[in-house]
Amino acid sequence: MPVVTIASPKGGAGKSTAAVILGTELAHAGAAVTMIDCDPNRSLTLWSSQGDIPSRIQVLSDIGESDLIKTVKQHDKDGAIVIIDLEGVASRLVSRAISQADLVITPMRGTTLDATIGVRALQLVAEEEEALDRSIPHAVVFTMTRNIRSKQHNGIEASLREQGVDIIDPSLIERVAFAALFEFGGDLRTIPPQGNMETAQANAQGFAEAVYARLQGEAGESAA
Amino acid sequence: MSERKAFSIDVGGLKSRPKQSDAGTIAKTDKAGEKHGFIDREPKAKRGRKPSPRTGQVHAKVLPLIQEQIAAEARRRGTQQGVIIEDAWELYCKQHGITDDN
Repeated sequence: MPVVTIASPKGGAGKSTAAVILGTELAHAGAAVTMIDCDPNRSLTLWSSQGDIPSRIQVLSDIGESDLIKTVKQHDKDGAIVIIDLEGVASRLVSRAISQADLVITPMRGTTLDATIGVRALQLVAEEEEALDRSIPHAVVFTMTRNIRSKQHNGIEASLREQGVDIIDPSLIERVAFAALFEFGGDLRTIPPQGNMETAQANAQGFAEAVYARLQGEAGESAA
Repeated sequence: MSERKAFSIDVGGLKSRPKQSDAGTIAKTDKAGEKHGFIDREPKAKRGRKPSPRTGQVHAKVLPLIQEQIAAEARRRGTQQGVIIEDAWELYCKQHGITDDN
C-alpha cells in the first residue's frame, strides 16, 4: 500500500487541492483510496461533506500526531493508496507523516516565498532519509500555475532541477474547476461545469498518472 | 481535439516499501524534524483537575483560627470543608430571610 504524504510548511501552497485531485483521479482509475485529514482546518473533511464521496474513497478526519502512524498501519491494504494531507506548518506531525511515506509530494506555487518555505520540507525528507536509513522518494508539483509562466517560476524550477529535485509534470494549473471541488464535493466528473472541464480533467489525470508512475518506481528515480 | 487515453490502475502492482514505526524510529524521526524546526505543535490539554459539573468553587480567605475550626469540624463529620460552608450559608439564609427566589 503506497502512502503519499502531501507536505509543505507553507500555507496556501495547494496541498489540499492536490490531495483531492490526486485521490479522486486515482479512485476513478480503480484504486481504493484512504484520505487522511491531519489539517486542523479540515479542508479534506469539508470537501467530503459537500457532496457524495466518490466510490472507493474514504476520508478519515481529525487525525493527530498520536494517531497517525497507527491509522496508517490500520489502512495498510494491498492495492490501496493512502494520502495524508497536512497543515501548512512546520510540525512534528509533518515529520512523522514523512517517515511513513512511499512518496512525499511538496506542492509549491511558482513564487520565491513558496519555494523558500517549501524547500524546508525537502530538507526534512533528506534529514529523515539519513536518520531512518531508507530512501524516501519525493517530488515537487507546481500549483496554481498559468499557461504563460513567469520568469520567477522558470527560475525556481530550473534551480530545483539543477539540485536534482524531481518535478512532477504536468503542474496543476490554476483552474476554477479545482477550486470548485471544495464547493460541490465529489470529483471533476460530478461537479457542475466550471470553465473548460475537458482541460481540467486532462490536467488532473496527467498529474495523477505522473504520481502513479512514481509509486510504481517508473519515474523520478534518477532525481531521487 | 485528440481523445484522452483512459487511465486505469493495476491495483496488484501497487507495492509498499517496508517502513518502520517502532518507538526508536519515531524518536529518530522527531529528532530529525526538530533539527529543521518541525516541532510539537499539538494543542496541549489543560493542566489540573477538570472542574466538577456538580459543584462550584468559592474563594474564601478566613482568619487562621476559623480555618482550623472549619477543618476540624469537617474532619469530625467526615465531610469536605465545602459542606460546612453550605450548612453555614443555609443558616445565614434562614437568618436573613434569603430564599432561592431572591
